[in-house]
Amino acid sequence: MTNQTNQPTEAELTTNLPTDNNEPAAYQPVATDFQVISADEKKHLDDEKISAPSLTFTQDAWRRLKKNKSAMVSMVILLIFFVLAFGSGIFETHNPNAQNPAVTNLPAKVPGVPIPGLNGTIMQGGIRVDAYKQAGVKPGTFYLMGTDQFGRDLFSRVLYGTRISLTIALVATFFDLTIGIAYGIISGWKGGRIDNFMQRIIEIIMSIPNLVVIILLILVLKPGMVSIILAIAITSWVSMARLVRAETMQLKNQEFILAARSLGESPIKIALKHLLPNLSSVIIINTMFTIPSAIFFEALLSYIGIGISAPQASLGTLLNDGQKNFQFLSYQMWFPAIVLSILMICFNLFGDGLRDAFDPKSKE
Amino acid sequence: MKLKPTITFGVVALFGSTLLAACGSGSATDSSKATNKTLNIQTPSSLTTMDISKSTDIVSAQTLNNTNEGLLKFGKNSSLQKAIAKDWQISSDGKRYTYNLRPAKWSNGDDVTAQDFVYSWQRTVDPKTASQYAYLFDNVKNATKINSGKLSPNQLGVKAEGKHKLVVELNHAQSYFNQLVANPQFYPQNKKAVKKYGSKYGTTSQDMVYNGPFKLTGWNGTNDTWTMTKNNNYWNAKDVKLNKVKYWTVKDPQTALSQYEAGKLDLTNLSGSQVQQYTHNKDYVLRKTASTFYLEMNEKKQPIFKNVKARQALSLIANRKQFTDKILKDGSQPANSLVPTNMQYRDGKDFATESTNKTITAYNQTKAKKLWQEALKETGKSSINLNLLSDDTPAGKNTTEYLQSQFEKLPGLKITNQNLPFKTRLARSQAGDFDLVVSAWIADYPDASSFLDLFTTKSSYNNGKWSNAEYDKLVKDAGGSLANQPAARWDAMLKANKLIANQAGVIPLYQQAQSQLVKSNVKGVVYFPTGSSWDYSHAYLTK
Amino acid sequence: MAKYLLKRLFYLLLTLFIVITITFFLMKLLPGTPLNNQAKLSKSQIAVIYQQYGLDKPVWQQYLSYLGNILHGNFGTSFQFSDQPVSYLISSRIGASLQLGFQAIIVGVPIGTLIGAIGAVKKNTWVDTTTTIISILGISIPSFVLAVLFQYFFGVKLHWFPIANWGSFIFTVLPTLALAVSPLAESARFMRTEMVDVMNSDYIELAKAKGLTKIGIIYHHALRNSLIPLLTVVGPLAVGIMTGSMVVENIFSIPGIGELFVKSVLTNDYPTIMGLTIVYSVMLMVVLLITDIIYSLVDPRIRLTDKG
Repeated sequence: MTNQTNQPTEAELTTNLPTDNNEPAAYQPVATDFQVISADEKKHLDDEKISAPSLTFTQDAWRRLKKNKSAMVSMVILLIFFVLAFGSGIFETHNPNAQNPAVTNLPAKVPGVPIPGLNGTIMQGGIRVDAYKQAGVKPGTFYLMGTDQFGRDLFSRVLYGTRISLTIALVATFFDLTIGIAYGIISGWKGGRIDNFMQRIIEIIMSIPNLVVIILLILVLKPGMVSIILAIAITSWVSMARLVRAETMQLKNQEFILAARSLGESPIKIALKHLLPNLSSVIIINTMFTIPSAIFFEALLSYIGIGISAPQASLGTLLNDGQKNFQFLSYQMWFPAIVLSILMICFNLFGDGLRDAFDPKSKE
Repeated sequence: MKLKPTITFGVVALFGSTLLAACGSGSATDSSKATNKTLNIQTPSSLTTMDISKSTDIVSAQTLNNTNEGLLKFGKNSSLQKAIAKDWQISSDGKRYTYNLRPAKWSNGDDVTAQDFVYSWQRTVDPKTASQYAYLFDNVKNATKINSGKLSPNQLGVKAEGKHKLVVELNHAQSYFNQLVANPQFYPQNKKAVKKYGSKYGTTSQDMVYNGPFKLTGWNGTNDTWTMTKNNNYWNAKDVKLNKVKYWTVKDPQTALSQYEAGKLDLTNLSGSQVQQYTHNKDYVLRKTASTFYLEMNEKKQPIFKNVKARQALSLIANRKQFTDKILKDGSQPANSLVPTNMQYRDGKDFATESTNKTITAYNQTKAKKLWQEALKETGKSSINLNLLSDDTPAGKNTTEYLQSQFEKLPGLKITNQNLPFKTRLARSQAGDFDLVVSAWIADYPDASSFLDLFTTKSSYNNGKWSNAEYDKLVKDAGGSLANQPAARWDAMLKANKLIANQAGVIPLYQQAQSQLVKSNVKGVVYFPTGSSWDYSHAYLTK
Repeated sequence: MAKYLLKRLFYLLLTLFIVITITFFLMKLLPGTPLNNQAKLSKSQIAVIYQQYGLDKPVWQQYLSYLGNILHGNFGTSFQFSDQPVSYLISSRIGASLQLGFQAIIVGVPIGTLIGAIGAVKKNTWVDTTTTIISILGISIPSFVLAVLFQYFFGVKLHWFPIANWGSFIFTVLPTLALAVSPLAESARFMRTEMVDVMNSDYIELAKAKGLTKIGIIYHHALRNSLIPLLTVVGPLAVGIMTGSMVVENIFSIPGIGELFVKSVLTNDYPTIMGLTIVYSVMLMVVLLITDIIYSLVDPRIRLTDKG
């Protein structure tokens, strides 16, 4: 980011100052608060010098991001989700695909939580009964989110499903990034007829609703994880390409690029060394919005029956299964729905926070 | 109509879409009567056609069965009832059927005549119509030649003698011909209407004429609700008690259940995990379909399966009851015989029950292991790796997973599962490119021969190439020399059914069933496990 | 303007042609047939049926005749509904989907705009926080989850609205709400950002300095100037509604094209899938074109040029 030409704006400088409402109550100074400085020390004091450390663009953005509470909370929650979902086997309390006919459709039971809905009881004919006792489960057995119709542990399945959903989203986003950035840079850099042609292609893709394209591709590729990833990646790079192109067109006429060109650097080197670092904020922000939309599409596809297929699970298939029994076993839909919604909310909030942090102009 | 031999549940197959009836809720009241005589039924898929020659799915077959009528119809337990035919004679060689028709009318006022049957059958067999059920007519004289374009349709072996006499010539005696005739494909069609509506014939409720208990109304060809209204031109209209049967297409199982609970539906289907929740409900009804899911072993590719003990071992190690009750849990029943239960009866006795002895189809792990070891020894092998094919549906995957876990209990046996799309699986089965494959068959007509015929040595459906001379002879006799001797034929088929189970020629696994909820005030709904399945002409509502 | 329009129309047709071509050949890669009981049919029977659907000809001939037929508004015959022209299937079902879509926009966008505007005016207060939470929830929670919840609570539990099916206006309420949430949230979010920008701009400062009332400023300057850019999100909103309708129509058993599309996908009804893909594309392109035209009419700073 060393080439970053953004100057801190006035707005930004203001926001960096501690605001009044953060100040403690009026303070009465006492003598010990002050001390006499030596002449030696005084030599280093330069009234003209700015004593705050100079920050790189990234550091600056990070500093701003840290101030955004909702973004930070989202980030922490996302990290927790990632660790839980990908630390498979460690957190999964049971094998997510192991069927156990003895313990089907048990409600959630969390050790030490007496709240109805989480204590292993269900309403049966108007009376609250202990479903675990009824099923003859050994005391001390806990299914944190209950079990499904095949006696599979829902908590483990939700973790497993989250892992599949996140994997699909991340891999799809990775391809989306690669295609989108390359396309955008080439289009923006070359300009002229090539650019015009490449933009036409984008317009064509954008004139078909992306879900329709995704569904068509999945039909051709046969449903499954790989085809979902490909289908999402193939349709979602367009917005990335457009943003990158616009930014590239601006950048390519700036002095440092002109300098690099006149020094005879190859276009690929310029793209990697100079363009990419300057595009990073646009890319990061857009990525944060691509991931939740990929999660959403995966859930939607699995929900309508052409996504991940049994016995594999994703949040979408879990929702679909749970929804069938929503009336009497509502927890089977609630848990995946809540996890899916939290993931989406956190990605969106974190994305918002990143955008604000990287783009001081959009600061409130 | 059961179309796909494999009943892929859910997604692809319309078959999975059996219907339900819901009864008298408040949504549609007949203004002319104080009492509500409307039955509200959920259907998971739309009505696709009313063209008798082109119907291929269960929704259209069911609707046709209630709006139109043929020579005969099915009653309870698939018993044959007189419909347009008031009586019939069969020639002594069993090749000539003469039906005497009763006076009846079309909804447009025309008489239903023998000529309408002739026209309809010719139209279905005519290659220009491209009916997917033309093969049901194969035994009618000249039908196959007409269908392949070698003869003109008017050469078909069916003639009208006057207005009320229909004569059918068959290639050979076929004891279940009357069962075939009760299917919608054999219903009459009004030539005037077909010509008048042209390419629109059967595509909306107006572009069709009816001669059954109800008339179809309110169907524009694509909408999700349609109504069968009592047909006053029906010859037996006085016995029809309902004024209306209203169909609601509801695809989402949870929505359907909510609508049922809210009283908007009187009959609804349960799917998958819902079944468990309702098995003890008083409204719960289990409808067995005339279907069998079975395992075929490829004797050509894996010679070990020429050894009867190897086949029997696989049959013995499969715990069918555990599989249907604990794994599938959708109401499906364990199959202990190739021919499904609840399909064919003699003197009130179920064919399948009578021919089942569970020596080889009951779970017995010890015996299975012993037989398997002997088979290995006799074929000089110590271990064997096999692939197991099935559909890529949830039920298909559950099946392969379960069978894999059971089969691998046999010493030295390793199973690799492959779940494929229906058409791919079908192609590979037919090409013999498999070791083990789970297949399914649904009967077109309620006769054991629709299953037994599949596994004769020369049958093109016998993918595993199991061959047994005695079985071949029994099946051949049942279809030929014994065709006119019901008792002897029944015994031959019983023997064949026992033989294939004991020899484990194919291994029956389970019989599919449809779970439904029916409001307790709905009475008189007739269900039969083949073809159109539902008859509402005698249904009524109490209260 | 006329020249611009002509050019846009030309590109629209070109795009449409490409969409049709790609869809057609994609569909040809698939093993779909009109056969429902393939396993029980003989080769000659199958050949007869293929011939009837024109599937026996070489692919390029099928393609040319498909193009020719489309010019006459003929999208072929459905595999699923025998003898039913795809054009009729679509035309008889598109009404319900359009009605729901428009209702969702009419409900969602104004409310969203209002919420966003209030949020911007009351910036950094609890009102702002609440409206932000509403919009973030609306954007994040998938419409099919909301549809199930709405159906359960307002239909099954409270009996306020019918649970499903299609009939009078009351039947449209729940599906409309489920569909409206996403445009509501999107427009609220967009509106807030726009209006915060506008509120900070020089001319608002000037208006303030001139002593205009707060209401006056908001109404005459801020709101108006923020509404224009809102037009740019109409395209994405339309896409969102088309996407959402596929699931929402299924959940509420609505005879629309979203439900038809999903069903065609699940039953390999390729003629219908192709027809619907074309219809969806045309709808989206028309929405985008109209938005651009309106945009140029209401915002004098924007002039439609050949660059388009």
